[in-house]
Amino acid sequence: MQKTVDELRRAAFEIRKNLLELCSKQVIHIGGDLSIADVMTVLWQYQMKYNPNDTKDEQRDRFVLSKGHASAVTSFCQAAIGCFTKDDVINEYATDEGRFSMHSCNLVNPYVEVSTGSLGHGFPVACGMAAALRRKGNFTSRVYVVMGDGEQSEGSVWEAAMNAVKYKLGNLVAMVDFNGLEADGKIDDVTALGDIAEKYRAFGFNVREFDGNDIAKIKENFDALPPADSDTPTVFICHTTKGRGVEFMENQPRWHAGKITEEQYAECVRALEKSLE
Amino acid sequence: METALSDKKYFLRDIIGGYMYDLGEKNDRVLLVNADLMGTCRNRNFAEAFPERSYNVGIAEQNMVSFAAGLAHEGFIPYAFSMAPFLTMRACEQCRTDVAYANLNVRMMGTYAGLSGGISGATHWSIEDVAIMAALPNVTVVEISDPVQATQLMDQTLDYAGPMYIRSSVEPVFKLYGDDYKHTIGKASIPREGSDGAFICSGIVVKYAVEASRRLKEDTGKEIRVVDMHTIKPIDREAVISAAQTGRVVVAQDHNIYGGLGSIVAMTLAEEGCVTKFRNIGIDDKFVAMAHAPYLYHKFGYDADGLYGAMKSMLEEG
Repeated sequence: MQKTVDELRRAAFEIRKNLLELCSKQVIHIGGDLSIADVMTVLWQYQMKYNPNDTKDEQRDRFVLSKGHASAVTSFCQAAIGCFTKDDVINEYATDEGRFSMHSCNLVNPYVEVSTGSLGHGFPVACGMAAALRRKGNFTSRVYVVMGDGEQSEGSVWEAAMNAVKYKLGNLVAMVDFNGLEADGKIDDVTALGDIAEKYRAFGFNVREFDGNDIAKIKENFDALPPADSDTPTVFICHTTKGRGVEFMENQPRWHAGKITEEQYAECVRALEKSLE
Repeated sequence: METALSDKKYFLRDIIGGYMYDLGEKNDRVLLVNADLMGTCRNRNFAEAFPERSYNVGIAEQNMVSFAAGLAHEGFIPYAFSMAPFLTMRACEQCRTDVAYANLNVRMMGTYAGLSGGISGATHWSIEDVAIMAALPNVTVVEISDPVQATQLMDQTLDYAGPMYIRSSVEPVFKLYGDDYKHTIGKASIPREGSDGAFICSGIVVKYAVEASRRLKEDTGKEIRVVDMHTIKPIDREAVISAAQTGRVVVAQDHNIYGGLGSIVAMTLAEEGCVTKFRNIGIDDKFVAMAHAPYLYHKFGYDADGLYGAMKSMLEEG
């Protein structure tokens, strides 16, 4: 079950390949899917305790996609562990009332723990779940939540951050996809986000900052998590590249969402294969 | 029953807040969430009895509602208390996306309903909350009028499936029902029978409607029913149809006339093809300066005098 760094690199390649295949058929939030793809791969194929055949298992780890627009990468990560197939995602994406779409919806997809889309919701909901686990006497499960960096502008994120520390939610692991871009451009041009790691440190979090596109580093940081029954919530500041792995998309705000041609898809896959070697 | 059972005043926030302790005793899945208004919402006795089941998230209503959603997601029944305007407007999207969309058993408890915030002014009034919360799919909307009704309906919230919004006034109420009256979520209560006309109202307005009905009986001999529509959504359609059969319906609410009980009753009357005289009384779509709540109720015509006058003119029309 435990994958090696090389196996995880290969797995992340497959996730990116799937994303690009879908992107050749549908508009998806490709930029932010690609930036968080490595963290998500390690989370779903190495770190998380989750049985696709028992989505209500009390002992499972919970996952909340606070940046709900990264629904495609989440679906492919879930497909990779057998929740459904990768072709289910590709064929059903953006179909009427289908299981997969621009954001995650648990009315039709039981693997979506919490429906998200609007930013600044998933993190405080995850805090409630983490507090509830403690209340139920579950000191082994964790709640993982992925946020965007632009999302950090939402006040509710910081309301939740204070709360997570107050209630000593050491079972909470937040991951910020710090790719430096948001819908209207560079984070630094849109807002004064500043030193986000320092901010979380000041709020009382266990902060770990690393290259979020480096599989070995990601794995290392998951391995170094304090135990789930500890008292300090953790945040990973994952330095990533928006559009990671596709040269013409990297660091381009316009690739927040979009669609590519069949030719571009073939080209992208060749480039990805090359980088894997 | 003929009128209020006694002159004794009751404060719904004392009763609802205090009864949280009873709910906590009855069901260990009951949790309490608040945003720095534990005292205002009278939540302290629950918090003292069950400190590990009480969460005070600070002045952060959005976080309060999302956090409650997370607790409910894991099988608890969180009661999230605040002043109604902050709960339903500051945290509106959280109520909608985290609670209603997910169809979770969160109890959204709003005090300071309507104009009962009085001299605190429009920031602390809640004159839009029924419209907002009734527009959220899955959410049951309740307004409490009486101390016995409060505890009965609170008991029912333990087993009721799905999200609920429960608003209540901070103005005093009287006991309008005997202890043996059975209140049921979804079914209107009738504190006063009559077939010459009907008041349909909820919450603080019910006591005024009962008083207006009593005075109308004295002055005109006419018997005016009072329909206490404590469950505003889903509305008791039979009770609306039956009220319309009297030929005279006056709806009154401590809320803007747009989107409140009056709008929902009017829609029901139209859908059911009811023919009746109809008036919709409430806040006439405006903000006004700070004043004591009874003054404002009088100004907007839904105190006992206003309701008496509205029904009397309808009776005089024939």
